[in-house]
Amino acid sequence: MKKLNESQLNELQNDLDAIRNDVLADIGERDAKYIRRIIRLHRTLEIGGRVMMPFGFIPPVFIAATASLGIAKILENMEIGHNVMHGQYDWMNDPSLNSQTYEWDTVCTSDSWRRTHNYEHHTYTNIIGKDRDYGYAVLRLNDDEPWKPWHSLQFINYILLSVLFQWGVGVHELETEKLMRREISWRDKLPFLKQAARKGGRQAFKDYVFFPVLTLPVAPIVLAGNVGANLIRNLWASTVIFCGHFTQDAETFTEKECEGESKGHWYLRQLTGSSNFTGGKWLHVLSGHLSYQVEHHVFPDLPAHRYPEISEKVQAVCQKHGIPYNTGSFSKQYSTVVKRILRYSLPERLIGSAARA
Amino acid sequence: MLARITHTKALHWLGRQLLNRDNPAAYFDPLAEAINPMWVQEYTPAMVERITAETSDTKTFVLKPAKRWTGFKAGQHVNICADIDGIRRTRTFSLSSSPLLWESEGRITLTIKRLPGGLVTNWLHDSLKDGDVVGLTAAFGEFLIPTPAKPVLFVAGGSGITPILSQLETMADQNYRAPVTLLYFVRTQSDVIAGEKLTALAARYSALSLKIITTHEGKEPRYLNDNDLATVPGLKAREVYLCGPKGLMDLANDLLRQRGLKDTQIHSTFFAPPAQANLDNDQLGGEVTFSSSNLKVGSEGDANLLEIAEAAGLKPQHGCRMGICHQCSCRKTSGTVVNRLTGKVSGPGEESVQLCVSVPQGPVALDV
Repeated sequence: MKKLNESQLNELQNDLDAIRNDVLADIGERDAKYIRRIIRLHRTLEIGGRVMMPFGFIPPVFIAATASLGIAKILENMEIGHNVMHGQYDWMNDPSLNSQTYEWDTVCTSDSWRRTHNYEHHTYTNIIGKDRDYGYAVLRLNDDEPWKPWHSLQFINYILLSVLFQWGVGVHELETEKLMRREISWRDKLPFLKQAARKGGRQAFKDYVFFPVLTLPVAPIVLAGNVGANLIRNLWASTVIFCGHFTQDAETFTEKECEGESKGHWYLRQLTGSSNFTGGKWLHVLSGHLSYQVEHHVFPDLPAHRYPEISEKVQAVCQKHGIPYNTGSFSKQYSTVVKRILRYSLPERLIGSAARA
Repeated sequence: MLARITHTKALHWLGRQLLNRDNPAAYFDPLAEAINPMWVQEYTPAMVERITAETSDTKTFVLKPAKRWTGFKAGQHVNICADIDGIRRTRTFSLSSSPLLWESEGRITLTIKRLPGGLVTNWLHDSLKDGDVVGLTAAFGEFLIPTPAKPVLFVAGGSGITPILSQLETMADQNYRAPVTLLYFVRTQSDVIAGEKLTALAARYSALSLKIITTHEGKEPRYLNDNDLATVPGLKAREVYLCGPKGLMDLANDLLRQRGLKDTQIHSTFFAPPAQANLDNDQLGGEVTFSSSNLKVGSEGDANLLEIAEAAGLKPQHGCRMGICHQCSCRKTSGTVVNRLTGKVSGPGEESVQLCVSVPQGPVALDV
């Protein structure tokens, strides 16, 4: 990681705080209108998708219904749920958009998400051993983790994780790696398991039992469409999230270098540990503006639709301090993610010799 | 009733299964609001039908709430909520119309004075138009006419007349059989709210004697004094209702006690942030744990829990910030708090507290 001394870190903190304060001073009607418009779009797409789905025996209708429901789930999870739970809209004082009570349309319970994502991942971002989101305890993405033979098949694990992404996120807090190492016991995880089973059951009941049974004569079509919609959301969410921290130049950190770190150091870690991708307006909306992962990690509780506006200012701050700003086209960034997954599925000595050859 | 409860329970169950929220209606509200704001379910929508000026700084808003609104008793208030610059604001106002108007025509009125610097009252005066919709809660409050009938004295100051307008109209309609006196204090004649209505009430309801006293028209201010009370026949047997600025309320309380009236006879309601109880600052403050947010902060003096939370960067739900609307109520899991309004000290255990009027006394833990 780029090294800055304490006074440089303080200056970095002041520069970023100034950007944040500018947005906070301007927050209001425009932001409220934006999120309400997205919510209306989500409702329209979900209701539209569910109403069209029983007519899915007509192939174009099936495609439209599945896409509509899939996009609805993407919008709800990424631009609404994820951002609301970060407290981006708490200032609106609207009980339906409160970070502590919002429950989203995916297997993971909001309470579990607030612990593992808002607290752990956003506090210990990319610190190997502390940020369990780095590789999700399934993938080896860095030299700091010793190679084991089963890592050689990790690309298959990655595909499985992406296909079943909402279930993976749902059981993330189970900390299976710690259970296997006997650091924690199943008994400790019982309360979590109960909550996870209830929420997972609910999500499965809704999409795979209730709506198909409601339209019994065409149940298989509705079931297939709902599975498809969940799959679209799973693949997209997984891909966007992997682009956020696992690109080629996204840095990782050791526990030691982050001990007792200052706010300035935390900012530096967020800037260098995250990566953006570029694209059109709707690509950003559908990624919940996680395409501006750098801005998101620096300011997780500012309304996300503001990230494009402040991106230039953040880049200017990076340039001033000589900090790399990691961005590129979606395809370029994603290809480096795939390369990273493949590369670390092999032990270091093989990579080394491949590089020499 | 039972059918309704089961119906609601079933709906909530379905809401949780299908829409991840207790109230399925809340899922459809954003669409309803865009199509017809009167369809919103989260609060009771009320449409503004007419706005009339009472004085230079007071207006009466005639509202038509959705039919499912549960009505009110004379003297009660409601919370009004509105999104102002994207922020949901909640404030409490007294209903100034009689419940009869709601029952017969489905209309209610709120008579609201513009408070200098007041965010919501100024917005209501300047931005709210006919046809706009605001949110309404169920009516609440214990400032109620005694039943069976007893002699009554009302002491009102300025816009404190609003709940009393509702009560007087109700008494006149019921032909309430007991002497009723109103002492109404205003700065000048032009500050009288609903003057014509009061005169008309006195004309059709003979039990009412009406006395309007201007405090700032002479050389010296002329406030409530013992002579005013001396002119009220049978004062000691009356139920007294006070509503007005703090100075008037304090004065009235003192004078009435001197004349031997009991505390139980005196009823007060506030239309501005009520006086704070005298708290012993030395004992206040303490470490506050916000357990859901993983946050611990110290506090000193009479800072309330809402201020402490906001200073720590949290944004708990809140409304009136004066202990009325309960929007900010949340679970206290341990510790003692003092109610800023009443001076009452809480128990140490788990209970619901209003953040905006609770001051920690020693360490406190909250589910926030």
